[in-house]
Amino acid sequence: MNKTPDPGPRTSDVLLRRAFLSRAAYGFGGLALAGLFGGTASADERWRGVITKPHHPVKAKRIIHLCMAGGPSHLETFDFKQALKDLHDKPFPDSFTKGQQLAQLQNTTLKARGPFTEFKKWGKSGQEISTLFPHLGSIADELCIIRSMHTEQINHDTAHAFMNTGSIIKGRPSWGSWMTYGLGSETQDLPGFVVMTSQGKGGGAQPVSARQWSSGFLPSKFQGIQFQSKGDAVHYVANPAGVDHSMQRGVIDEVNRLNGLLDARIHDPEIATRISQYEMAFRMQTSVPDLTDMSKEPKDVLERYGIKKPGDGTFASNCLLARRMAERGVRFIQLYHRAWDHHGDIEKNMPIAAEETDKASAALIMDLKERGLLDDTLVLWGGEFGRTPMGQGSGRDHHILGFSVALAGGGIKPGITFGGTDELGYKAVDHPVSVHDLHATMLHLCGIDHLKLTYRTQGRDFRLTDVFGEVVKPILA
Amino acid sequence: MKHLIPCLLFATIAAPALNAAEKLSYNRDVRPILSDTCFKCHGPDKANRKGKLRLDEREAALAKEAFVPGKPADSELVKRLHQSDPDEVMPPPDSVRQLTDAQKKIIAQWIAEGATYEPHWAYIAPKRSAPPTVTDKAWSANPLDAFIRARLDAEKIAPSPEADRPTLLRRLSLDLTGLPPTPAEIDTFVADTSADAYDQQVARLLASKHYGERMAVPWLDAVRFADTVGFHGDQNHNIFPYRDWVIGAFNRNLPFDRFTAEQLAGDLLPDADDSTRTASGFNRLNMMTREGGAQPKEYLAKYTADRVRTLGGAWLGSTLACCECHDHKYDPWGIKDFYQFGAFFADVKQWGVYADYGYSKNPDLAGYNNDYPFPPEIAVESPYLKAREASLRRERDQSAAAAAAKAGDALKAWRTEITTFITANPSGWQSAAVAAPKDDKAGFSVADAVVTISAKRDQDVTLRLTPAPGRVATLRLALARVKDATAGLDPKQGARVELKIAHKPATSDKAHGVSARLSGATVKKKDYRSGAEVLGVQTGWNLTTDMLKQDHAAVWVLDRPLTLADGDTIELTLVKNDLAGVTLSTSPLIPPTLDQPVFDAAWLARTANGAVDDALAYQWLAGTAADQDAFGKLKDLDREIAECRGGMAMTAVTEQWDPIAIRVLPRGNWQDENGEVVKPAAAHFLNQITADKPRANRLDLAQWLTGAENPLTARVFVNRVWAQFMGVGISATVDDLGLQGEWPSHPELLDWLAVEFREKGWDVKKLVTLIVTSKTYKQSAVQRPEILAKDPENRLRAMQSPRRLDAEFVRDNALAISGLLALELGGPSVKPYQPPNYYTNLQFPDRDYHAETDRNQYRRGVYMHWQRTFLHPMLANFDAPSRDECAVFRTQANSPQQALTLLNDPTFVEAARGWAVTLIASGGDDAAKLERAFRTALGRSATAEESGPLLKLLTKARAAYAMQPDQAGALLRTGLAPLPAEDQRVEVAAWTQLCRVILNLHETITRL
Repeated sequence: MNKTPDPGPRTSDVLLRRAFLSRAAYGFGGLALAGLFGGTASADERWRGVITKPHHPVKAKRIIHLCMAGGPSHLETFDFKQALKDLHDKPFPDSFTKGQQLAQLQNTTLKARGPFTEFKKWGKSGQEISTLFPHLGSIADELCIIRSMHTEQINHDTAHAFMNTGSIIKGRPSWGSWMTYGLGSETQDLPGFVVMTSQGKGGGAQPVSARQWSSGFLPSKFQGIQFQSKGDAVHYVANPAGVDHSMQRGVIDEVNRLNGLLDARIHDPEIATRISQYEMAFRMQTSVPDLTDMSKEPKDVLERYGIKKPGDGTFASNCLLARRMAERGVRFIQLYHRAWDHHGDIEKNMPIAAEETDKASAALIMDLKERGLLDDTLVLWGGEFGRTPMGQGSGRDHHILGFSVALAGGGIKPGITFGGTDELGYKAVDHPVSVHDLHATMLHLCGIDHLKLTYRTQGRDFRLTDVFGEVVKPILA
Repeated sequence: MKHLIPCLLFATIAAPALNAAEKLSYNRDVRPILSDTCFKCHGPDKANRKGKLRLDEREAALAKEAFVPGKPADSELVKRLHQSDPDEVMPPPDSVRQLTDAQKKIIAQWIAEGATYEPHWAYIAPKRSAPPTVTDKAWSANPLDAFIRARLDAEKIAPSPEADRPTLLRRLSLDLTGLPPTPAEIDTFVADTSADAYDQQVARLLASKHYGERMAVPWLDAVRFADTVGFHGDQNHNIFPYRDWVIGAFNRNLPFDRFTAEQLAGDLLPDADDSTRTASGFNRLNMMTREGGAQPKEYLAKYTADRVRTLGGAWLGSTLACCECHDHKYDPWGIKDFYQFGAFFADVKQWGVYADYGYSKNPDLAGYNNDYPFPPEIAVESPYLKAREASLRRERDQSAAAAAAKAGDALKAWRTEITTFITANPSGWQSAAVAAPKDDKAGFSVADAVVTISAKRDQDVTLRLTPAPGRVATLRLALARVKDATAGLDPKQGARVELKIAHKPATSDKAHGVSARLSGATVKKKDYRSGAEVLGVQTGWNLTTDMLKQDHAAVWVLDRPLTLADGDTIELTLVKNDLAGVTLSTSPLIPPTLDQPVFDAAWLARTANGAVDDALAYQWLAGTAADQDAFGKLKDLDREIAECRGGMAMTAVTEQWDPIAIRVLPRGNWQDENGEVVKPAAAHFLNQITADKPRANRLDLAQWLTGAENPLTARVFVNRVWAQFMGVGISATVDDLGLQGEWPSHPELLDWLAVEFREKGWDVKKLVTLIVTSKTYKQSAVQRPEILAKDPENRLRAMQSPRRLDAEFVRDNALAISGLLALELGGPSVKPYQPPNYYTNLQFPDRDYHAETDRNQYRRGVYMHWQRTFLHPMLANFDAPSRDECAVFRTQANSPQQALTLLNDPTFVEAARGWAVTLIASGGDDAAKLERAFRTALGRSATAEESGPLLKLLTKARAAYAMQPDQAGALLRTGLAPLPAEDQRVEVAAWTQLCRVILNLHETITRL
């Protein structure tokens, strides 16, 4: 890890002590002041989560969610269906679709669309993965594929909301927020929950809202911070033009000194928090550029991820950044690649989206592994829903009754395929896994009993899994 | 971090300390325990009830022999609480909610005392009780104070002294207007020795138009007001007049019952007008979608549920979300109540998906694309836009007049030309000769100035105009009905007209493209960009078959007027032409109205022979561009005037149509058609609506909400207003007064206020006055050890609680301190600086963001563009909600993002810079300037301990910028103001640093 440059003298420590002493007479407890002292980020200085003792052994300390936004077709990624291939272009059996919800295929005649790609059995595990994903195929032995996912929402916006929050009612916290709320942060110099987005070149992009990484009713310090690919990585992280590091330090020192004087006068615990937030802000002004500066990444690493220009906002570049964040203790990292909504031209455009993500996804997993980070990092690859086994012109429509995701790392059994859809890939029938189940499982791997991570608001205790969720035990290592 | 709901404290503070001698209150002491731990399985929700036992009703509990009143030892309930067998003990061992020993004792004591039940306090109409007598007479004048003081006396906590006057006025100004007091206002108040000095300040601030802006913010959160529709593409919709209505309603102190009725039913009122219809935009504030593949029926169900949740949150202090799927687990609300509420909105004209897709046909919205608005809408007058237009016109005309005054002979010569032109062309238009085509391929012929086109549809047709030499400011194209009384080539089809204009001087072989700066037409099919109607016809517009049969003309005001020499031509290309006949003319004048491009005879006579006035000066400048600078300004102003749209604005409103069927949706499943169809009705456990008609409507709902029998509305509103001024509600759970809500810290006070509010005519200003003139409110905000020990959350109000300003007011305060704040009231949303590319992830349509480049940059936060999916980072960082859902409180985070915003957001850097310039200009030595700065920002003087090191920072900054003057220049390029003179830059840059310190202070963003 790169060394953070010395941020200069820390008059603030003196101020904090003064503020603390002035308040000590008032008997303020240690809570607000815990970890305010000390020059470097120590264990005591991190934010503390509400879960002080894990409910289960902690297998994953952090999660990287590679969100294939738009809904990749399971039928061309992880779920090969010979019967569907055989039925290609023939009427899709009514017995499957009767009474089920459709999106753009509402009120149309339904015809089967066979997979347009070949599938191969990869690695020792012999997992079936489409040839569109040779790099993921090459690490098949690291992956756990779930073929029996299902969700409740058929449109992008609400399906993302459901995947992120377990609900479609607005104002519910995203799972990254739940994670940081529960477990706290391992870094004091960076946000605990970071989001990046990229857009594919082959069409199929759909909008994605900042609501998806909102902390909802949880305090806003748990919200996901979106890192921008252009301009300042974090909003307002750069000094104003014409203000250098030392000038900024001088301003912050005076702000904190005067805030300390106010505290001595009115004794409000918010003030000590304010002072520590200015210190963290100042540290972020160094640590964020340090994080996003990939100029020292060796060429072979860039090549491995398929990065042409580090920091160019591509999915590949974001994957490398994700690894750097994982190294620095970011708890939840979410990368959206907006490219998978293939209503039309799927045969032309899905290979483009696959190429944009395949190499970098595999590189990230193996890079983490080689650095010893995969053991306690859980990687999730998947979209907000799947796509219909029925054709929609030259593409496929949204599909919620069956789709696939892949997991790797932190406590997951590698090299297995779990669950399955029916013979046409329409509905999850073998060990169906709901979004709530996925949430429960991921929390479990992080040492959290999903029933016990709650937040009380509006008169009741809320959970990420609402009143549902079963841990999918067979996929645990 | 301030959490609103510290559960543990409820037991210790909200409820008085228990002692064995005192009889328990079911509502205060027992119900919270049962509700929290037992009702989930033994409560109102039938579907999840275990062992058929319910404990929320006494008769039902007795029927199942849950307890024996008076005999805790014989009561099954008590036995179960103490069981050791995991199969018998209650709550079950795996339940998250377990009882403490103290709570178990309370249950036993309650049974011993007879196990009496009370209806939930919030569901019984509030009763006014006499304020308690307190010995300190100063605390009995205002009944609020009597309630507060009596409890403080009982707890043996002394109140705090009154805050000093500067602090008091700063508190009051920020609370009532969201703006800081000026040093002069503070001086006046400090010097005012009259007995009612404070009350006078209250009256002054309540009369300020900025009071409405302050009060609007929490209401806009509650009703989820935003500029965009929220789902998927998150397109703009037109709704700002609703915000202006809310601000105006608070300013004119519209009684809250009427305020309620106009929003819910502004279209149904007997005296409905544009204002009440604007208010009815409330019913249109739900999130909406235009996503391809969305199911209209699914989204209609979502919209209904959203409205019911908002009704519950904004008026009833009830969390109804769970009842969309099942009966409430704690409260008596049932799933049927939810859908009956939903049925009130069944008559709101709306569409599930605001588009017309092949797979979900929607003939009402044929032709709608992502740039279209979200109907129904009406056009209403916007006082802001009217005033802005008038002021821009004044500015434009004065500027033109000033240029004309300097023009001398040139103006005279132009006047002579114009007079000659008008004499020759009494209509003001000169018919333009179109050169006859050289061959048949041109596809048109010319006769009597009418161009008859024979080319096939969709072919380009180029016409060469040879006007007489002279000036051309405006070009006009009129349709000629040459074919079956239509001007179209195909009588069965409409037409797309797209025009390219070029000027070819006689001396050149090349034609130069000419653009138009303004345009207009008598008729056109409306076209939209990001929800707003496209102004004029731009380079192209569409006509229906009917429009092609009407007299129709369009005009273009050329970007620069042309002066044609002999032999010059104007080339007009009708791109992919659909028209059969046109006539063309030119004018050196600009028609006063572009949508009706005819010159009035009297107007022309004045132009030819009248006095030289502003209007004539405008015509001269616009028609000649003689003064470059003035003409440039005129063009900008003309564009801005056009954007005022004549002072009219579109706004989404409620229109009625036949109610859609509303069914109970079991488990909230919109595809389930087995549920009962319901009619609008009040909650089954509250008083009923007894309107003598087959179907109650939204007006009945409004009257029910504010009726004397409704136990919730008044309590909910006064509780929220109290929280606004005191930091926490009398019941801390301002969003939930149901069974899981908090027992109020001062129940009699809450009820007294609720009854007072209702009985005094729902008078909001009166309510606010009552609160802010109380001794309770005026106390100092300095923490005291004994308060901290006994009441750390300050629920008993022995002091005032300091509170960080809400996001919008953090902004307003900084801009006000710096002197940059623009204080106009109302109008369209504005776009302050925002980090670039922030809307990259938005599509349908792709969005760009252009920050304001005039004083609109400095408008108040309440007017900021509210993009639901990507809320402005400054607002989001300071805890403003996205307004997807009803929100009746804001969390108060304290985060590094807030520090980064205040330190580095250009808005705050520019404020510091602007303020530095003002401070320097006001003279005096450094210490005097610093003193002024403190008094402006904080309303107080700087202490020596504060100012010493600050002045050292100033010296250091001066030295640093003197060494690197280019850095000073770089800093001072932040913002819109021109760069200061070179010899001033170091000084301004140095003071900017000091101003940054002050704008970043916790005290600056906090009201003490």
